[in-house]
Formats: sequence, C-alpha cells, structure tokens
Amino acid sequence: MIPFVAVVSLRNQQSRTFRVWIPLFLIWLLLLPLGILLSPFIFIACLVCRVNPFRGVAVMWQILNALTDTKLEVEHRSAGMSFHIL
Amino acid sequence: MSEHRRQILQMLSEGKINANEAERLISAVEEPASARSADLGSAPTKSHPKYLRVVVDSEDDGGHDGPTKVNVRVPMQLLRAGVKLAALLPAQALRSANHAMQAQGIPIDLSQIKPENLEELVEHLSDLTVDVDQKDASTKVKVRVYCE
Repeated sequence: MIPFVAVVSLRNQQSRTFRVWIPLFLIWLLLLPLGILLSPFIFIACLVCRVNPFRGVAVMWQILNALTDTKLEVEHRSAGMSFHIL
Repeated sequence: MSEHRRQILQMLSEGKINANEAERLISAVEEPASARSADLGSAPTKSHPKYLRVVVDSEDDGGHDGPTKVNVRVPMQLLRAGVKLAALLPAQALRSANHAMQAQGIPIDLSQIKPENLEELVEHLSDLTVDVDQKDASTKVKVRVYCE
C-alpha cells in the first residue's frame, strides 16, 4: 500500500515537541493528473534511454509502496527530529 | 580434507599416535561439525528480515554539543525495489555511478547487482552486522548496521 501520511516531529531546546502530519495522499492526488499529462513525455524519455516504460512504472510503484514504515530519527541534547512515513 | 584431519593422519604416519588414538581424534574433530549440520537441519527456517537499521551513537566527551543519536529504519522492500531500479538503469548511467562511487572510495560495481541475485543478497544481509567504533580526542562514535 502506498504511504498516506508522513509524520514529522521536531523537538526544540525547551523540550517542546511539534508534530506535523503531512497528508501524502493529497500529494498523490495532485500528482496523479500531472503524471497523466506527462506520461507521453515519460514514455518517450524511457524509449530514448532504452528502458521499458512499463517496467519503469512498475518499479517506481514498488518503490512508492516500499516507502511505508521508513523511519529516521535524529536526537540531540538541544533538539531532535523524527520523520516517519506511515 | 580438513586441516585437522590432515594433521591427525600426518601424526599417525609419523608414528606419534596409534590408529586407535587417530580414530578418536578424528571422531572428536568431526563431531562438532556433524552436530552443527544436524542443528542446521532441524532448525526452523530463518525469518526474513523486514528492516535494515542504521544506528549512530555519538558521544561528545568535550561537553560542547552533547550526545547525538541517529536511528534510520529502511524497509527491505525498498532495498528490493532499489535493486530492481538499478537493473533498469542504462549501462552508461551505471558506469557513471560506479565511477562516482569509486572516486568516493566505495568499490561497488552496481552492474553486478541483478534482480536474479536479489533474494540471495537479502538473505545474506540478514546475517550482516557492522559495528564501527571511532574514538577521537573529543568524540566517540559508534555506528551499527544490522537487519531485523
């Protein structure tokens, strides 16, 4: 399943934590018409680069799916940040 | 023939030990290996790792910045998809990437990573643990890469 939400947590020096939920599904919805519009150009670019466009799209879709559950945390005495794709 | 077995046979040929002693020694040497292989045979199949973890612990002894911890969790599926993407890249792009990595001191040939070897690669990664300890005058850095 493609990721729907990304959570970014930021902690400042006063130990206050700000959590931002980024609705990725809105980004996908916005990118979908753009992708459809650009698909002929992507198709031509794939042919020029001698890449199977269907396999390319399939792999990109797999990468998008695999992003779910990726987590990055950086903790420091004065600040901290975490990024989690759900 | 294993090194131990050869040594025992050599001792026998030199007359240092008799045939009975040689037999006992050989069975003693072979016992752990057979027990190990029996254990492997009866062991349940190893679960596939789901994530690749990179943990960096940096301790600042100087007390200026304080300790820093970095924790990265990457799904194995992303690794699989990445290998498939690398297989799609044109040969020229792979060559450029190889040159760039070699310039950075990473001698990896991306063209050798193929989707056919993917499962084998992931299987070997499950046994991977890389521990790097760096002790500097003011900082101690510990890097750990493993699968879980």
